[in-house]
Amino acid sequence: MSARKVRWTRVWIYVVLVLAAVLYLLPLYMTVATSLKAPADIRLDTAWEFPRALHWDSYRTAWQQFSPQLRNSFVLAITATVLSTVMGSMNGYVFSKWRFRGSEIIFPLVLFGMFIPYQSILIPLFQFLRSTGLYGGLPGLILVHVVYGLPITTLIFRNFYAQIPDDLLESATLDGAGFFGIYGRIVLPLSVPGFVVTVIWQFTQIWNEFLWAVTLTRPAAQPITVALANLAGGQAVQWNLPMAGSILAAIPTVLIYIFLGRYFIRGLLAGSLKG
Amino acid sequence: MKSRQERLIALAMVAPSLVLLAIFVYGFIGQTIYVSMSDWGRGAALALDPDISFIGLDNFKDLFTGFLDVRFRQDMVNMVALSILFVGGCLVVGLVLATLLDQGVRGEGFFRTVFLFPMSLSFIVTGTIWRWMLQPRGGINVLPTLVGLPRIEFAWLTSREQIGRWNWQDVPTLLGLLLAVVFFVLAARWWLAGARRRAAAGGVLAAAALVWAFTAATKIEVLPFPEYHGFNLALIGIVLAGVWQMSGYTMALFLAGLRGIPDEVREAARVDGASWWQLYRHVELPLLKPIIWSAVIILGHIALKAFDLIFVMAGPDNAATSVPAISMYLTAFRGNQFAKGAAIAVVLLTLVSVLIVPYLVSTLRSREEN
Amino acid sequence: MARVVLENVSKHFGDVIAVNNANLVIEDQEFVVLVGPSGCGKSTLLRMVAGLEEPTSGNIYIGDRLVNDVPPKDRDIAMVFQNYALYPHMNVYDNMAFGLKLRRFAKDEIDRRVREAAAILGIENLLHRKPRQLSGGQRQRVAVGRAIVREPAAFLMDEPLSNLDAKLRVQMRAELSQLHDRLKTTTIYVTHDQVEAMTMGDRIVVLKDGVIQQVGAPLEIYENPENVFVGGFIGSPAMNFMNGVLKRDGDDYIVDLQAFRLKVPEEKVQKHPKIKEYVDKPVVFGIRPEDIADAQLLPEEERRQVVTAQVAVTEPMGSEVYVHFEAGEHRFIGRLDAATAARAGQSHPVVFDLAKMHLFDAATEKAIR
Repeated sequence: MSARKVRWTRVWIYVVLVLAAVLYLLPLYMTVATSLKAPADIRLDTAWEFPRALHWDSYRTAWQQFSPQLRNSFVLAITATVLSTVMGSMNGYVFSKWRFRGSEIIFPLVLFGMFIPYQSILIPLFQFLRSTGLYGGLPGLILVHVVYGLPITTLIFRNFYAQIPDDLLESATLDGAGFFGIYGRIVLPLSVPGFVVTVIWQFTQIWNEFLWAVTLTRPAAQPITVALANLAGGQAVQWNLPMAGSILAAIPTVLIYIFLGRYFIRGLLAGSLKG
Repeated sequence: MKSRQERLIALAMVAPSLVLLAIFVYGFIGQTIYVSMSDWGRGAALALDPDISFIGLDNFKDLFTGFLDVRFRQDMVNMVALSILFVGGCLVVGLVLATLLDQGVRGEGFFRTVFLFPMSLSFIVTGTIWRWMLQPRGGINVLPTLVGLPRIEFAWLTSREQIGRWNWQDVPTLLGLLLAVVFFVLAARWWLAGARRRAAAGGVLAAAALVWAFTAATKIEVLPFPEYHGFNLALIGIVLAGVWQMSGYTMALFLAGLRGIPDEVREAARVDGASWWQLYRHVELPLLKPIIWSAVIILGHIALKAFDLIFVMAGPDNAATSVPAISMYLTAFRGNQFAKGAAIAVVLLTLVSVLIVPYLVSTLRSREEN
Repeated sequence: MARVVLENVSKHFGDVIAVNNANLVIEDQEFVVLVGPSGCGKSTLLRMVAGLEEPTSGNIYIGDRLVNDVPPKDRDIAMVFQNYALYPHMNVYDNMAFGLKLRRFAKDEIDRRVREAAAILGIENLLHRKPRQLSGGQRQRVAVGRAIVREPAAFLMDEPLSNLDAKLRVQMRAELSQLHDRLKTTTIYVTHDQVEAMTMGDRIVVLKDGVIQQVGAPLEIYENPENVFVGGFIGSPAMNFMNGVLKRDGDDYIVDLQAFRLKVPEEKVQKHPKIKEYVDKPVVFGIRPEDIADAQLLPEEERRQVVTAQVAVTEPMGSEVYVHFEAGEHRFIGRLDAATAARAGQSHPVVFDLAKMHLFDAATEKAIR
């Protein structure tokens, strides 16, 4: 294998990678370009041109129009993330370090809950929320996200805690620590990365969720995804607004991804039982 | 030692989660199955205490053979086509990108970030953006004009074109043929592995399935008259957006897998005389196989559940791109036909379970072994 | 079969010099062991011979062919890796056959070679197992088998026994030596374990910080270490070193170690006249633990230059006792007969076998010869 041949292979690798990167970024470019155009300047045949004058009004309008839904999304995502993470941590601790009879059978049954198509529980869920008066508001939606978030949070923490050596816990037991003592003094201080992974994953998932948001909320409690879908789904759309709205809706999760991508990927791998 | 009392505390701490999941997952699934066997939806469906009676499997029979439910059957076809293209697209693109990135390129972090960032978006955002990208007279279609080429004339999401049409009445025959092919492949593999008797049994079963497909199966009356289904070209746009969003995920999976192969093994192969391609073909790809399979399962179940992306890209009412996940929503929550919606949901759950349950069991078992 | 020659070979990783100007000739059919502490460059050296690393400068010849630009697959070498590097998805047979298949050998030739190698290594009954179904020792054998079937010009082994338990390691050590006696293939063997080096090598190459310290037959290195490092690295427990000053007293040369003084035997001075140049200069006195004897157990006439030292610890090994002594600022270990009366906390008389003493330059740490 000559050095020249190697060099050409490398050139081709970079050509393909750069080309792929451009293709992946095209939709992003299109979104930003469109969102910065004045509505009158948006024509299909000039869609790829970058606006000559930056027109920030779309963002102001989108912000005014979407701020209640953005607020809903934040309340929903933060509350549900915190609750499901805390419960998941406790579950993971028990499933990894306090196995009980039948826990090997119960654990896969718990995990199954994160793979089901949620349509298969939607009708009883809808009925249940209606009969308890939780239908249509944020508390109901939070409850749903917490419950169906439990499988993945339990899984991430169980796998995370499985790496803590049993010796450590046994030594703590000899030092007189019990169930809560071990959790509070040994397990919890070691779980910061586990919490980061779980919080990021749950926040992203809940922020991005749509099916429950569209079936279980009344307009006042709708999160951003529903508002955006309604805006984009209408006929004769002015595209600058949905594009600006898309960017507003994407900013929190994209920021998380850019700054904490490492943890995001770990959540991703955990979700396929590989983490 | 862990005392009895502390074990009880442990159990008490997980009990709330377990009870919630027992009710919200298994209880509700049970209820959905019950509703799918009822006639809820005829009459005052939204009453808090609606009048419901048990009608057995009639809803399912309607879905697959009922004259009115033609849309559901096309939805199933769409779902299968979408799943195959989406999973295949993600696998190929992800594998290519991961392989290239594994060659020790400069700026790997940058490329990884670019390919993976769509994963952090919601399907709703992706859908909105791609809906704009796929406008018949703009977006992707005018892209070639930037370099002087003619415009693409394809309506994407609003296309009504259908290719590869076939008659729903042939379903039993097609199933028989599929069965014959499966048995034949199994028989061939057993033959090559030297299990002659098993291979013979497989061959006999394949022949039987073949005979059945062309005799008894043709006599089964599924529908009273021909009904044609095919691949809707409008789905291509959905697949494109889906692959854009999810191929980063397969890339990350495969890259992690490639990085998990010890350097020593690659070096051993180089000393053994393997060229780059032989190393990739005979060592790296076979070692990635388990990861490829799990990607197929995970992506496959995502494809079966696809809802948000289609909803916002093409709208829930666009029949050309509809799938059971969407028609369940329309049937139950727009049409208030809860029983039929539940039946669609049960079909969906069954398909997902067929994929997920074996995966879940085998993954957890192999983890216990390690 | 081939000799392997390294000519002024260096390897830099950024600012780190892993191998510094190594020159070495490995004769055909020879079993040479590269030994040294971790990070000494021994693995890098081996990997350069394999073609897995490119030398920064210098030339490498295998069988008189310059191989600097030859990829590993065309160097006609086979390698055994520390973690065996078996292909996890292939059974034992395919693992051994892989290299031959890639080289398009005829099927029955592959079969013949694999079965022959399997017979030599006693793994015929494992041919259809996957690596994960094998024990550590079995994997080790497969890794060796994979190298054997290739019938290469040279075997390269990178710490092949370091992942085995102690008992198995001893057994495999003997088996690998036997295998070499049988196949006579040139072998370069890397280890950090000086016992493996001593027992297996026709010659030993001792490395430290990327520099070859000494090359020689095992006993030669053991008896005549070139410097303090080699003396301390080869042998267990390690050679004792004490700092002192060489003095002259009439015709006698004396090592003054402050706590005690020892006379350098006349034969030593005659053999290494350079010693005379070190009068009143600092030297390092070296003595191996087995060259220290319990004075009480010696016959009267051998009790000369008795040194009395404080016993810090005794470690009974059964047949002998390792006794840790303290004398002034010096600490040293003696391998005394099990009958010794030395007890911790007491002082005890010992005699150094000065015919076997070593003297090193205190500044360069090189043996004074």
